[in-house]
Amino acid sequence: MTQSKVGRPWLWVAALVAVALALPLISSPFALDIFIRVLLFAFIGVAWNLMGGYAKQLSLGHAAFFGLGAYTSTILLIRFGISPWIGMLAGGVVAMLASLPIGALCFRLRGPYFAIATIATAQVLMLLFLKFRDFAWGAEGTTLPNLGDAPLMMQFDSKSAYYYVALALLALGLAITYSIEHSWMGFYLVAVGEDEDAAEAVGVDTTKIKRHIYLISAFLTALAGTFYVEYIYFIDPNTVFSFNISVEAALVSIVGGIGTLWGPVVGTVLLEATSALLQSWFGSGHGGVQLTVYSLILIAVILWRPNGLIGLFSDLYERLALSGSSRAKEAPLDG
Amino acid sequence: MLATLAQAVVNGLLIGGVYALVSIGVTLIFGVVKIVNFAQGEFLMIGMYISFFLASSFGIDPLLSLLISMPCLFAVGVLVQHFLIRRVLALGDMPQIFLTFALSLLLINLALLLFTANYRTVQTPYSELTIHIGPLYFAVAKLIAFAIAMLLSGLLWLFLHGTDLGKAMRAAAQNREVAMLMGINPDRVFCVAVGVALALAGAAGSLLMPFYPAYPLVGQIFVLMAFVAVVLGTLGNITGALIASLMMGIAESLGVQFVGADSGLIVVFVMLLLTLALRPNGLFGGWAR
Repeated sequence: MTQSKVGRPWLWVAALVAVALALPLISSPFALDIFIRVLLFAFIGVAWNLMGGYAKQLSLGHAAFFGLGAYTSTILLIRFGISPWIGMLAGGVVAMLASLPIGALCFRLRGPYFAIATIATAQVLMLLFLKFRDFAWGAEGTTLPNLGDAPLMMQFDSKSAYYYVALALLALGLAITYSIEHSWMGFYLVAVGEDEDAAEAVGVDTTKIKRHIYLISAFLTALAGTFYVEYIYFIDPNTVFSFNISVEAALVSIVGGIGTLWGPVVGTVLLEATSALLQSWFGSGHGGVQLTVYSLILIAVILWRPNGLIGLFSDLYERLALSGSSRAKEAPLDG
Repeated sequence: MLATLAQAVVNGLLIGGVYALVSIGVTLIFGVVKIVNFAQGEFLMIGMYISFFLASSFGIDPLLSLLISMPCLFAVGVLVQHFLIRRVLALGDMPQIFLTFALSLLLINLALLLFTANYRTVQTPYSELTIHIGPLYFAVAKLIAFAIAMLLSGLLWLFLHGTDLGKAMRAAAQNREVAMLMGINPDRVFCVAVGVALALAGAAGSLLMPFYPAYPLVGQIFVLMAFVAVVLGTLGNITGALIASLMMGIAESLGVQFVGADSGLIVVFVMLLLTLALRPNGLFGGWAR
């Protein structure tokens, strides 16, 4: 990206971190709830982006890993009393294991057929969990036990604690993306994403690299699943394996800018802000408003800004940094 | 037992005819334009709502409204190709996949906003009618749907093999560059291909209306069936898609009959995954991407 050439990006990141850390101190519980959603979906987007953005393997089945993470930790918690912190890692490992056969099946497919196959795997998992009544509560799902303020069990009295956990997850996702982006793996991934056959021809083991990034992406997505059910105290297959989760993971990345570090974050902030505005205008009674607007945004981005909206911001940033205060007023007009 | 089996096969075959109309549309667009249309099921949904409103407002029989839904959706197809799909043809996988995907999301949620999630049904004199031949029952509405679906498939075959435009379309499907060198205007051919494909989906919607409820998500199951059938029948192969759709209909019906009422979807997904794992190039030929 162009942003590294001008200004001091680290200063901006530091400012962003400071704002993010201070937000719970000044927000209402309602606003905090929205911020937690933003952080969570940005994190899922970041996890998806490793796979879909850098390696361009356009998965529409990441709900599979989200659901596995959620179910693993919940089963460990309720059946064995194991802390969700451990359950979270266990869920990540289960998701990694699940990604191996799914990858083996789907990786020989390209483009749209990869996407369709991933939809099918997530749906099959959902249907299976709907059937497993004995150890996974079937279609009714279950509520999670409320243990009061028990930080060791990932349960907190104050919303801001959840906020910081979500923030830590997002920071982890961004740190992993950053380090992958700047390693040999990042270059291999981009090569696979640009042209798989060409990458293979110059000696990249494309299947292996796709398998590796799928493992990481699945692991991170599962962490989000555990956090989500711990936050809403409820689990059922239709929620945690929901197709909407797979869609939103892809959507925030595409709107923000796939294959960029901050793309999913920018995309989530924009979409969730839109969603909050729509709710305040229309109320939450009108089913379909939110996704109608999301899909219009998605179509507009694909037709006019296929690299995502993050480009708008880096242009703007560059202009601001170069032109100083006198011309800064014009810049938003171009945005 | 044998009669139950035969009855399940008949039921599956009849609904398979409707699946075929959707699959043929998907495979036609894929073959000619090289795009997977994720929104094909939603055009079936639009066809259903057109027939529903014509029936409930003007008392027009759904089978008659075929003559309205098909041209309407042909026009929609031309517009979709011209204003949307054409603009992403030169771009990569992401825009090509997510454009029609976004369109699908948009149409579902618009339908939800405009028509709510309620099931809409149309009662026709033949909705409940059955005829029996020997031990087998044939639901008349499904029988008509199957017959018209086969007729439309036959007409499409004649169009592709007997007219200049149809031949141009097949040429463009085989080799876009060479077809262009021969003086075929790809934009026009693509518009017609997408238009015809959507008209078929619209026809499927109208044919379903006498015996199937319309609701915003109704297209999803049909499009998934179509994807499986299209992979099974080899991408871009119209006869393959037709045969595979009939097979899918039978497989689903047997699943419902012998495994359980809610297993239809699982059968579809398992068949899709098995097909992808075992025969990623489909059953009817080696044409692969």
